[in-house]
Amino acid sequence: MEALEVVGKSVARVDGKDKVTGRATYGYDLVLPNMVYGKVLFSTRPHAKIHLLNVEKARNHPGVLCVVTGEDAPWTWGEAVKDTPFLANGKVRYVGEPIAAVAALDEDTAQAAVGLIEVEYEDLPAYLDAEEACAPGAFPIHEDYPNYRKEQFVNPHTSWPNICEHFKLRTGNVTQGFKESDLVLEERYRVPKIGHAAMEPHSAHAQVDPASGRVTVWVANDAPFRALHILSEALGLPQEQIRLINPFQGGGFGSKGGLKVEPIAIALAYRTNGRPVRVKFNRPETFSSTITRHGATVTIKSGVRNDGTLMARQVTIYWGAGAYAEKSPTVCIRGSLPSPGPYRIPHVQVDGYAVYTNEAVAGAFRGYGIPQTAWACEQHTDELAKRLGIDPLEFRLKNIFVDGDLTYWGEKLQNVGLKETLLKATEGIGWGKASNGSFKRKGVKIGRGFACILKPTRTPTTSTALVTIDASGVATIMAGTVEIGQGCSTILSQIAAEELRIPFEMVRMHPLDTDVIPVDASTTSSRSTYHMGNAVRLAAIDAREKIAKMAAAALGSSDDNLKFSNGNVLLKAGPPGVVSIAKLILDNLGTEGKVCGKGSYTFELGKDLNSNDGHSEHASAFYMYATQAAEVAVDEETGRVRLMRVVAAHDVGKAINPASCVGQIEGGLVMGIGAALHEELIVDRKGKIRNPSFLDYHLLTSLDVPEMTCIIVECPEPLGPYGAKGLGEPGLAPTPAAIGNAVANALGTRIYDLPLTIERVYWAIQSMKKKSPQVQLTGAS
Amino acid sequence: MKRPEPFEIYRPTSIREALQIRQTKGAGGYFQAGGTDLVIAVKEKGLVPKYVVDLKKISPLRVIREESDGSLRIGALVTMRELETSTLIRNRYPFLAQSAAEVGSVQIRNRATVGGNVANATPSADVAPALLVLDAEARISGLHGERSVPLAEFFVGPSKTVMMQSELLTEIVIPATHGVRGEYIKFSPREMMDLAYVGVAVALVFESNDKTCSRARIALGAVSPTPIRARKAEAILHNRVLTEELAELAGNEAATECSPISDVRSSAEYRREMVRVNTKRALLNVAAHITEPLRWIERRDRKY
Repeated sequence: MEALEVVGKSVARVDGKDKVTGRATYGYDLVLPNMVYGKVLFSTRPHAKIHLLNVEKARNHPGVLCVVTGEDAPWTWGEAVKDTPFLANGKVRYVGEPIAAVAALDEDTAQAAVGLIEVEYEDLPAYLDAEEACAPGAFPIHEDYPNYRKEQFVNPHTSWPNICEHFKLRTGNVTQGFKESDLVLEERYRVPKIGHAAMEPHSAHAQVDPASGRVTVWVANDAPFRALHILSEALGLPQEQIRLINPFQGGGFGSKGGLKVEPIAIALAYRTNGRPVRVKFNRPETFSSTITRHGATVTIKSGVRNDGTLMARQVTIYWGAGAYAEKSPTVCIRGSLPSPGPYRIPHVQVDGYAVYTNEAVAGAFRGYGIPQTAWACEQHTDELAKRLGIDPLEFRLKNIFVDGDLTYWGEKLQNVGLKETLLKATEGIGWGKASNGSFKRKGVKIGRGFACILKPTRTPTTSTALVTIDASGVATIMAGTVEIGQGCSTILSQIAAEELRIPFEMVRMHPLDTDVIPVDASTTSSRSTYHMGNAVRLAAIDAREKIAKMAAAALGSSDDNLKFSNGNVLLKAGPPGVVSIAKLILDNLGTEGKVCGKGSYTFELGKDLNSNDGHSEHASAFYMYATQAAEVAVDEETGRVRLMRVVAAHDVGKAINPASCVGQIEGGLVMGIGAALHEELIVDRKGKIRNPSFLDYHLLTSLDVPEMTCIIVECPEPLGPYGAKGLGEPGLAPTPAAIGNAVANALGTRIYDLPLTIERVYWAIQSMKKKSPQVQLTGAS
Repeated sequence: MKRPEPFEIYRPTSIREALQIRQTKGAGGYFQAGGTDLVIAVKEKGLVPKYVVDLKKISPLRVIREESDGSLRIGALVTMRELETSTLIRNRYPFLAQSAAEVGSVQIRNRATVGGNVANATPSADVAPALLVLDAEARISGLHGERSVPLAEFFVGPSKTVMMQSELLTEIVIPATHGVRGEYIKFSPREMMDLAYVGVAVALVFESNDKTCSRARIALGAVSPTPIRARKAEAILHNRVLTEELAELAGNEAATECSPISDVRSSAEYRREMVRVNTKRALLNVAAHITEPLRWIERRDRKY
């Protein structure tokens, strides 16, 4: 095999210049000719019947084109459960739910008209806690749940109220396993709801052509083909009657899939006589009325032998789904599946419950459930080691997955880079060595900790791509992967340039438009480098083979005597001969001619999880492994946790672009540290989010970011392009648990609830000192 | 964010002209300096001004100057960034410059003014505690003359001061004091771009190098309806040697003098605890550097 030329190199991002110079047009920036402006009336009640909805005054307000309510937009959508109305129809289920929308000639007029809409509510019992919502006798949030249409994989719990998914994993017999253990420990951990806080808030532009009825939506959606499918299903339109165009996306982290602002824009666009409608959410609306990450309560019980052998583990998770199912069933399934952690355990039982509540809808969030369960599992694992008097590193080395292990869900693992990440991250933080003591102050305790994870990817899925080369030698990739900021355009361009052996600068990405781009499952689940990378690679090879045939004829040689290099085709042996790819295309296909290569990739071994026991021989196309380690300085007088250093080791299979990998890891760390120390959506007793702005929802500033060391581990995946796996999500998954373990190491006491705010840590220290339960700390039982 | 309703805007070039406009136009008007509070109030909090008197063209108010008696005059329109970077301030009262540096971002500090921060009377205003411990006075102009009010009497309640509608804050005057060493701690969860959960300023004068306090001032922000002086805590320090034990006593006392609230950011109990801890720390930080020349310390090196 020839040496790689551009794959594996840290080439500069192809979208970098446009973004830093402000030329890139994001969804939020879009201006369409003749467009009108939509504004929304949101519910102020967590759970209520709409007694009266009077829009007459708004309709008659000068400058208003139309007002729409649930009656005017009688459509329902859902990815797993078809439970979500475009606009509330007769009932609201959370504060922030869209009830009605106005389109007007300008934004202020639309907002003024929204203020003229009269609503009367009849309050219903509201649930802001998942466990209360599924307790016996709880009032149903969706009375019609049994009758909703659902995807096949949805497994509702029939006897409990408000459960929209119950995931079960059964391996061995945990009761037996606990009996055979020397130590059994049960703990309960909690993770709050948090916001995605993408730099660009949500927006959608929609237009309905009055003549053809064709719907066009301009939206930064991370899965335009899935959105197309959902819309077609909801509106009862054939897919060719709907078109999605993706402008640049200013981040998403899972918040921009499915439908968010799209239904509102479409509902209005049906009544503006062909004029496009813009609906933009501001920051508070984005926090309250799009989606959040699932809050979760995780009860974890383990049995271990004195020698550190894990015998049994039982995990019960309540996922707060919010008012609508959205992606909750799959977050529950794929987040609960590996919740016992990357360990060999003979007896395992997992019950994951996604529970409807009267809170903002929870959905996909970078990591898809793994960060929540890792917070519990990895701290719990440290606690077990501590109680056994075994070093946590040694404890993990004894129990972690290695090549050839059979997982508790019945899959035989190969190409497991976990051990290497564990060794490198702990070495990087100086595990077992004395601290440098870079932060010395009286009352400041230094601690270290680490955590490791395994993350599956959505399986099975398909990616399809075209690679065309024109008569000037420029290659264009047509791929449905969305540039959400993760750097896919650069990675895919590198792969095409590699296979065609043309200069990297000669590769272009075609803008994403569902009318012309071949189908791709989604830009989610860290799946793109592997799946779309494979598809683009196959498409480039297909194109290369077509060019090779032309070159063979032109140079009078056989196919196997050709070598591609720097945009040319050369003869390997015999008399010298060379011809450029551009000339071949020009001579064979004319000035407008193009060679078109096609590629498609599906992980064909992939099998759905068995709904009875949660087992699958191939639950994921590949697995991502990571270990992160942290050193903290905890100020005992104030409760402040100051992060001194973080070391993150990630198994990426093969780094297509190492700089891009480091960028992903660093970005993940910053998000993970935020979730560990600051982030929480605070919901009051009336279901309203109290901190829906960056004033009181704290993201890290550059001054809050510690020294970060990113270590790339390459344990190749044979089916991945050049051995690549995925990387997008794991960056933040083990971070809070690593910090939690470091804090416990520093203080000698463990904190079970996120985030580790200054105040929570302060009271934990006080209660440890006084040994009185002054603060709500769900402790070990 | 809402586009504001149309309103009249005036741009006077003298204090007198500004006051006359205010008198002629009557109620419903607002003075605007940097606008970092006013514009948000209009766009996001539903404030509808009848008219706005933009003060930015009154150039005499943009000056920091030292009088022959050693007192300092800070014009109301001096920006936070100017206060932060002023050599005069950094040399004389580096902790005052540092309190200004704690406000928002550089972009905000380029617009926000000292006069605006003080006149708005937010309980958490960052420069207020630092000015309070320097015994600063507010110079207030009205059409019928000027008056001076000690800053300690200037604040009345949240967003309320002793000023009348017809008056304008023109200057902050810091009287000459010899040998003042101070500290301002802005205590908040995030290192930057945050509101003070607790703000503590201290200013001490030592008799000699033996750490005996001949003069002590302590002021607290964000823990009472207004920025306040902690006078009982100050009294504990008076003519005593500043030891760790004494600093702790003063901290305990300061914690009893404030009346914090519980809100989405933090509980009253925690705020009170942090007044205790940070008062002690501010005092000890000053005591620790008593033999060193006064100097500006970069924010990244000031970790509380």
